[in-house]
Amino acid sequence: MIGRTMLAGYKTLVRLALNAYPSCLQAQVRCSSSSNKLFQVQPGSPSLSTSAKVSLEPSEEVTTSNSQLESSHNNSDVKESSNPRTRQTAQRELEDTFTPFRYVYPEFLPDPNLKFRNRIKEKLERLDMLHRRSQVDIPEFYVGSIMSVTVSDVNAPGKTTTFVGICMQREFTGLKSNFTLRNVVDGMGIEICYDLYNPTIQNITCLRLEKRLDDNLRYLRDAPLEYSTFPFDMTPEVKNPDAPVPINPLKIKLNPRPWTAKWHLWDLKGIEDVSHTLEDWQLRKLKTWKFLTGDEVKNVDLMKTYRSTIPVEEQVEIYSEFAPQLVSISQSMKKQKRKRTFSKPTKSA
Amino acid sequence: MSTTFTCLNSLRRVFGPETGRVLSTPAFHQNPLWLSHQREMSRVKQRTTHPRYTWTKKRRERHDQELTSDNQAFLGQVILQKYGPAYQDGSSGMPWVSPLKDLHHERTEWTSKSLRVGVIAKKIGVHPMWDDKGNRFMTTLLQVVDNHIVKYIPPETVAKNYPDSRFRPELGILLVGAQSADPQLFTKEYCGLFQEAGILPKVRLHRFAITPDAYLMPGTPLYASHFFAGQYVDVIGKTVERGWQGVMRRWGFKGMPATHGVTKSHRRGGNTGGGGEKGRVWPGTKIPGHMGSRWRVHKGLQIVRINSKYNVIYIRGVSVQGDPGSYLCLRDTCLPLRRAAVASTPPPFPTYFPEELPQSHGEGDSYASSVFKFTEPSITFEENR
Repeated sequence: MIGRTMLAGYKTLVRLALNAYPSCLQAQVRCSSSSNKLFQVQPGSPSLSTSAKVSLEPSEEVTTSNSQLESSHNNSDVKESSNPRTRQTAQRELEDTFTPFRYVYPEFLPDPNLKFRNRIKEKLERLDMLHRRSQVDIPEFYVGSIMSVTVSDVNAPGKTTTFVGICMQREFTGLKSNFTLRNVVDGMGIEICYDLYNPTIQNITCLRLEKRLDDNLRYLRDAPLEYSTFPFDMTPEVKNPDAPVPINPLKIKLNPRPWTAKWHLWDLKGIEDVSHTLEDWQLRKLKTWKFLTGDEVKNVDLMKTYRSTIPVEEQVEIYSEFAPQLVSISQSMKKQKRKRTFSKPTKSA
Repeated sequence: MSTTFTCLNSLRRVFGPETGRVLSTPAFHQNPLWLSHQREMSRVKQRTTHPRYTWTKKRRERHDQELTSDNQAFLGQVILQKYGPAYQDGSSGMPWVSPLKDLHHERTEWTSKSLRVGVIAKKIGVHPMWDDKGNRFMTTLLQVVDNHIVKYIPPETVAKNYPDSRFRPELGILLVGAQSADPQLFTKEYCGLFQEAGILPKVRLHRFAITPDAYLMPGTPLYASHFFAGQYVDVIGKTVERGWQGVMRRWGFKGMPATHGVTKSHRRGGNTGGGGEKGRVWPGTKIPGHMGSRWRVHKGLQIVRINSKYNVIYIRGVSVQGDPGSYLCLRDTCLPLRRAAVASTPPPFPTYFPEELPQSHGEGDSYASSVFKFTEPSITFEENR
């Protein structure tokens, strides 16, 4: 049962989050509020000056932490409606409010395998993740985005190493979550897998924020090297903050066989059609494969979907608990970035 | 199986417990808990699938259809009156004690020879952590769920009533219970075990051998802060159930080649013995069978972090036995070198009492040395000149 004031508070949070992560799926958020006040950051909103001062404990009651943000709203206590129709719409509104978080912070959702689910463990993990995020800005990125990572390296000159590459895949959840960057160095394809919450990472920057047609780009290993080559001195591309994340519709032409995997059996949309290279028996096998595991079956197999995803109600619960902290962290990171770009000219000699 | 057991007992009687002793070292430091280091026949896998005959019957058959909903609600009220708000409290894991209960007694000083009580914890998961040099290691999370002391048995009673106990004669026993549950699930006799302590009946009960100076009153709650970060513990628990397994997985046999004429014997055990006078398969021969679900002690595991708000202990490594959700006993390690490594820090003795250190309870985590805390900035390396 969600009261009106709480719902309004959540919407404010989402607007703030969207301002911080401009290229979030704004188009998909169906917030019905029309007030322009929501786009302005409230004067008394929490900011993270030093992580030691502000506690990053999950708020037991979200209304109390949003008190400053809700100052402009009507604070009259609206009685919770017992009408099931309004309850349903309220729940649906809440779900819509937190839909963007699912894409910007996917690793906050736990592993859906019931054998490993435990509320306390997940809570502690999220707390650690929040603490780490307050030290390092982990930007929004997707598979297909081009990123630059600076890591402390004992063996490198200057004790840091920077690597630029295209994000090939994102695996696991929580503190174990990682992403793999691929690039070509001296004619050799190089892939480096980074833990998202590794403390030796000094900086993660998203140089080009975009999506591809597939969830992972492992087929780049069997594609011409041009598709994986990105210059190391690439500058971050400034995008329109109100625009949704662009989807790159590139279709890659794979090298002739042999391949490292049976790409024709994977449901890949980012490669050119390879069925003309297949033998008759392979085509028949592909047909059976698609019949057993294709999209038609996936859409109907409810239990499979249930086992491999977190229910929406739980997602709302998770994100609503940490939304204030995530928003305040993103705001403070933005402030720090702006501070850093300005450098005072120093006298030489 | 019974013949094997009597064979073992006769072996013990013939060779005796004192045979393994090395007389040059002090007996306590050789092994503080047990009388001797005698190793069991490691080839024989013992398991019991039934409770011991000395134990009271635990679970009760419920027929809730016999009660009306009003009567069920009334029963709930009766239990609430008897046990207090602990009955309504959800599974937060924090132990509840009635404020009316007096748990004060004469306190004793810790000595290097004192043995304190352990705790019963639940394995909840696995997290990665990093050290201050940036090296990654895995940690197992164990939550100390709702532990209370149930009973104290002095050394004289142990000697009299527990003749098969292998504890040293000077040690007493503290019975600890974990995870309170609805009294309606258990028999009257089982609930009676907890009457002296005045607590709700527990799902798990375990014994811990202690020196009498580590005595605690029945009803005392136990917390994760009973231990300190950096110390070493022994973890006792049941291993993961693996079912019927073949000889390669169960005993580590190498199997036979996949080709070169091998007929139908790629994963089999091969020969099971010789002939002659002892021409039979000897007891303890390694053959396929049930694997897992055995009690094992993993010694000398390090605690790297303690969260006092949720009563969670982080142990280095993933070697903690059992599936997530299984219960384990934790106690101070018996390994002499690991005990000596942390001997300079006296542990909370006989246990941690939150009223004595209120500011530390529930406030942040305590870490072992050289562990990276996520509240710190990123790790950087300085240039050496």
